[in-house]
Amino acid sequence: MLSFIARRIVSGVILVVAISVIAFLLLYAGGGNIARRLLGEDASAQTVAQKSHELGLDQPLISQFGSWVSGVFHGDFGASWFTSQPVSDAIVSRLAVTLSLVLGATILIAIVSVVLGVLAATRGGWVDTVVQVVSLVGTAIPGFLIALGLVVVFAIDLGWVAPTGYVQFTTSPQGWVGSIILPVIALSLGGIAGVTQQIRGSMLDSLRQDYVRTLKSRGLSSRSVVLKHVLRNAAGPGLAVLGVHFVGLLGGVVIIEQIFAIPGIGQVAVTATSQGDIPLVMGLVVATAILVVLLNLVVDLAQGWLNPKVRLS
Amino acid sequence: MAPEETKMFNFRKRLIAAAAASAVAAIALSGCTPAASRAGSPSAAADGTLTIGTIVASTTFAVNNSAWANESPYLQAVYDTLLHADPDGTVKPWLATKWSYNADNTVLTMKLRSDVTFTDGTKFDASAAAKNLLRFRDGTSPQKAYLATLADATAVDPTTLRLTLSAPNPSLLSFLTQNPGLEESPAAFGTPGEKTTPVGSGPYVLDKKATVVGSTYVFTKNPKYWAPQQQHYAKLVMNVYSTPTAILNAVKGHQINGAPLTDNSTIPQIKGAGFTANGQQLNFFGLLLFDRSGAIAPALGNVKVRQAINYAFDRKAMLKAVGQGYGAVTSSIFSPDSSGYDKAMDSYYPYDPKKAKALLKEAGYSGGQITLTMPTSSGFTPATYALTKQYLGDIGIQVNEVNVAPTSFLGDLLAAKYGSTVMQLKAAPTTWETLTLDVLPTAGWNPFHTKDATVSALAKTIQSGTKAEAADAAKKLNTYIVQQAWFAPWYRPQQTYATDPTTSVQTQTGNAYPYLWNFVPKK
Amino acid sequence: MIDPLAGDLTDEIQAAVTRSSRSLLRRLLKKPIAVASLSFLLFIVLIAVFGPYLAPHDPNAASAADVLGPLSATHPLGTDSAGRDVLSRLLFATRFSIAGAALALIVAALIGVTGGLIAGYYGRWFEGLSSWVVGILQALPGIVVLLAARAVLGPSLWTSMAIFGVLLSPAFYRLVYSTVTAVRDELYVDAARVSGLTDGRIISRHILTVVRGPALVQASFVAGVAISIQAGLDFLGLGDLSIPTWGSMLNEGFSNIYTDPVLMLWPSLAIGLTCVSLVLLANALRDTLEQSGRKRRRTRRDKPASIPPIEREPIVSHGGDHRFDGAEVLLAVDRLAVGYGQDDGSITTVVEDVSLTVRRGEVHGLIGESGSGKTQTAWSVLRLLPDGGRIVGGSITFEGQDLAGKTEAQMRALRGLKIAYIPQEPMSNLDASFTVGSQLVEPMRVKLKLSKSAAKARALELLRRVGIPNPERTFNAYPHEISGGMAQRVLIAGAVSCDPDLLIADEPTTALDVTVQADVLDLLRSLQSELNMGMILVTHNFGVVADLCDTVSVMRSGRIVETGPVLELFARPQHPYTQSLFDAVLDESEGAGSVAADIETADTNGALR
Repeated sequence: MLSFIARRIVSGVILVVAISVIAFLLLYAGGGNIARRLLGEDASAQTVAQKSHELGLDQPLISQFGSWVSGVFHGDFGASWFTSQPVSDAIVSRLAVTLSLVLGATILIAIVSVVLGVLAATRGGWVDTVVQVVSLVGTAIPGFLIALGLVVVFAIDLGWVAPTGYVQFTTSPQGWVGSIILPVIALSLGGIAGVTQQIRGSMLDSLRQDYVRTLKSRGLSSRSVVLKHVLRNAAGPGLAVLGVHFVGLLGGVVIIEQIFAIPGIGQVAVTATSQGDIPLVMGLVVATAILVVLLNLVVDLAQGWLNPKVRLS
Repeated sequence: MAPEETKMFNFRKRLIAAAAASAVAAIALSGCTPAASRAGSPSAAADGTLTIGTIVASTTFAVNNSAWANESPYLQAVYDTLLHADPDGTVKPWLATKWSYNADNTVLTMKLRSDVTFTDGTKFDASAAAKNLLRFRDGTSPQKAYLATLADATAVDPTTLRLTLSAPNPSLLSFLTQNPGLEESPAAFGTPGEKTTPVGSGPYVLDKKATVVGSTYVFTKNPKYWAPQQQHYAKLVMNVYSTPTAILNAVKGHQINGAPLTDNSTIPQIKGAGFTANGQQLNFFGLLLFDRSGAIAPALGNVKVRQAINYAFDRKAMLKAVGQGYGAVTSSIFSPDSSGYDKAMDSYYPYDPKKAKALLKEAGYSGGQITLTMPTSSGFTPATYALTKQYLGDIGIQVNEVNVAPTSFLGDLLAAKYGSTVMQLKAAPTTWETLTLDVLPTAGWNPFHTKDATVSALAKTIQSGTKAEAADAAKKLNTYIVQQAWFAPWYRPQQTYATDPTTSVQTQTGNAYPYLWNFVPKK
Repeated sequence: MIDPLAGDLTDEIQAAVTRSSRSLLRRLLKKPIAVASLSFLLFIVLIAVFGPYLAPHDPNAASAADVLGPLSATHPLGTDSAGRDVLSRLLFATRFSIAGAALALIVAALIGVTGGLIAGYYGRWFEGLSSWVVGILQALPGIVVLLAARAVLGPSLWTSMAIFGVLLSPAFYRLVYSTVTAVRDELYVDAARVSGLTDGRIISRHILTVVRGPALVQASFVAGVAISIQAGLDFLGLGDLSIPTWGSMLNEGFSNIYTDPVLMLWPSLAIGLTCVSLVLLANALRDTLEQSGRKRRRTRRDKPASIPPIEREPIVSHGGDHRFDGAEVLLAVDRLAVGYGQDDGSITTVVEDVSLTVRRGEVHGLIGESGSGKTQTAWSVLRLLPDGGRIVGGSITFEGQDLAGKTEAQMRALRGLKIAYIPQEPMSNLDASFTVGSQLVEPMRVKLKLSKSAAKARALELLRRVGIPNPERTFNAYPHEISGGMAQRVLIAGAVSCDPDLLIADEPTTALDVTVQADVLDLLRSLQSELNMGMILVTHNFGVVADLCDTVSVMRSGRIVETGPVLELFARPQHPYTQSLFDAVLDESEGAGSVAADIETADTNGALR
């Protein structure tokens, strides 16, 4: 088990390095005149040149990358060019916010998908049809259209929650829930649709397996066989799909935070990439890559726990 | 089903499903118009907190690299300036109580207060002021050029500051009310946290714990402030809103007391929410016709062509279509607050496509032979470009739009890559600023460095003449520039600042943001 | 080597391919949903191609006077904030949006399919490199990459869609790679290689045909995603502003949502309906492919083919067996009929007029060919028929109560405790995710209300009883870690764990190695006599009947044709069908004497009882 984790970590590190190099090349290659962009239209050419020098932009590409890398080894990811905040501070402080959205959405997806998938597979009939239609809607229609409707109904008409802003958990747990509930729902819809379909399909497959009859013949109730055995077997593929969706969530959260004015990683990502704030973008790329590697590791470990056949010892 | 087939079949199904899921995964895009919220409305007077919206985050708190305009509230919260400016631009004493020029306006002597201390205990004195000035001159602030003519700054004694200039600068005093005049504690110079943790003498102190960099900045009252009559609130909260929609939502949700409106079409909405639209004219909007010597766009070298371009636009219609009618049409780049302003110049070029075509013919272009290449920016609406193409197309000028990455837009323009462009620029409050920004051969927005004898002569008078002489020359210069059609402005858009019923504010001439001490709770 | 047959073979295959693709389309078109979505998509494509020629205005013709105008004759859908005609923009936008999505799809498919083919077929370093690249591509959140690319390369629609295609290619790559590796070693590919087909031909003929279906499904999904992402980026104003697209029209509408909300309607409909159609089509495609798969691979066991009606003939019954007269009647099946509901509402009968009795201590064998209905009969007693099956006539009386009329809860009370079941195929009847021990313990705790440790002790004891050498190790093992013979012993242990009265064994040794079969039969025999259970033993093997059974019923086509004590029936089979079965056995067996020898042994054993 340990060697498995070690191997995954090593390949994860290589992945992160590769992504960093690619991102760096992309960003610097087309960075345009960053200094000019930073200083705005009123600054003189001399100021721009001076700023360029200050940021090291007049160095050759290799040495710029080299100084970034050596900074990273000292734990220094540099500072944002547009807010002067140290990149590691910027990312860490906002990570908690984004994770609360993403993890909340993941949990919501997992719970709702299992419930809907099991219901659809076991009840059949009109329940199955309704679940399929809901899945279709969630899959096909872009999330922002649905989110618009949600906000109009729940935040404006009914006034149950505030439409924008983020309340820290430490300030007010109730406010925190109110501020993340609409974004989390908007974020989850696509995932619910996809994972529900997967679980439904796997459940239908698993329900046809021979061991279901045998377990029932031992006198176990349908419910306990379905919930304990069938679901366990169907969960594996569902988990794999959920893992895939998580990467999608990291992308989707970018837009959600922008619109709901939630100060998370996503909001920073849009601002940083559109401004060309290279130190911040590099930090984000590395952080995202690490997150994804960790996630894949967790999913694989969970798969191993769920399905003994894939365990590596 | 044979086990092998089962395995592959199931695997394939799982792949399909997984792929479907991954296909779907990237979506979850959301757009919404969150509108009114019943959640907490900050009332300015009640708990003494002023919550205002800004459109950019603070790039740095280090004075020598600081930016002004939309970042002025951040800096004004924590720093004092040498001088203050009234809403109409009149310079008033602040940290400097008295000042006087020498005969040829190259030496400025200022008397400073002696009762001011920075929050770290360091005393404010002439030596600190001099250090701040020199650091700013040598720093990388966008406004660094304001102190380009500062040869030296010295402390004659703890309360006397002397500035020595290499050439007269008619706008210097005005500049000292802005970021060149900011006073930071010398003990903080060069420290690691200088950019994010300000040490000043200003009315408020940054609350780092409550601040989320790039999103929300919180300030609390400075108990030791030397001018408590200027502290109208116990707490300041500045929220960054990056889109007009976000601002509108915050307004409708009663989450802020004031914010700049970046989209005037939202004015009816904010008025409907009970807010006041405080308007001012800050910029001019239209075409900049850089290439007056015809270096890369030969047609632009001919004044008749440039004049034809000016006649081609229905400015009233542009103001209505693009500016929602908020603003004033003009053919000139001079601000009404500046000495060079001339009302006649606002209506110099009426909408006359016939005349435009005739001028083109006179210039030797009979339609369809002129192509102007302009870069596009996401900062201006597609409607703007569509209408520009339309109007110019009507008189036979093709417009070739080039998609430019946002990071390169300004840089490319200022590097003289294009002969003309759609742009919105500051209509500076002083004539000298207009010259240094847009007109002089060394001006940034004169990328082709157009030199003109008339302009040079008038500029000299404006720089070194008496007030009356300078004012007269300024008006003459305005007329000349308009007649020479160096630009084709359409209108001065209204810069709007929205305030809620509990807050009153006065807009600041020449600045995108009202000055902080002019935010006052309404009785 | 030139094989004259090779040409014929490939022509054959080619013909089969064409036939199958035609039939795939035909089957697809049978579904109304597929027809509807295909029609809509066709409509959209037509607009994309011809729409711009039908547009009444130039989509970029701005007019300051017509800003946000209402619906009119000249502007059937009104005008937008620059005074441009909405209908014309919609027509052009359809072309650009579809073209962009198509570009992303083509790039993704080209890269993914080619990469997957090469990696799967030739493997080695190429595969290693590819999977590494795919890992990177999948680790990047698409939106962030597109944002960064836009900052670098500008907002051109074609650039961003091409890049997105690269990001989407793993979807195709993984699919093709796994299919190719699975198929690569199939026998028919070997055959093709042997008959001299080049690699290229093998790939195109054989492998591509297998990949074709799933790839089409994938393409449908991917196209939907491309459209959504493109719309999203444009909606945020980060797309190409110089051309009309659905997303940019949505952005336009959104900025004017308070003044002219209808502007959002048209692009929303376009995006929503197109995405929905693509997903529906993909689902329909997938279902059609699975159906064809399922048809070929359907097992006979679950849903038997319908049985041709047979004239009712009297059952030949051998009487004269009084060995069990004193014992209580455990099970009395009387004229049982079992049927399956069809799609058209009718019922197909698979078992008809079946009657048999089992007394305590009696082993009743049900023998017949595949499809004779013997397993169906067995499952009916347990009331565990597959989906769609149910008892349509007759009665099943167990210890005096009619099982046919009982509720599920009542049946559950009996199962495991009074009536137990041993299935045929040991590996698929154990849940692979749970240890052997837990699957033994769980029902015992529920039925016998034992504590965890008591149940475990009992389970270990049972494992020892069924002849497993190391009960502790097996208890902790997972099903895939034990052999088939051991798994069957575990299942037997589970069946008898609660001391049932009636045991239903469904071909318990058929799936086992010949070497193990005898041992398991011995085990069954000793358990049956030790616990004095009544037993129904379903089999197709006369040897097993001779070995274990006291009574036997011969089934054919869902009916019992002959029944009676084993010795009697074996000695004097009367029904012609029974006789033909015996004849077949005698023909096939190594020595004709073996059956007779079995009968001798059975006789002796029976005498010993």
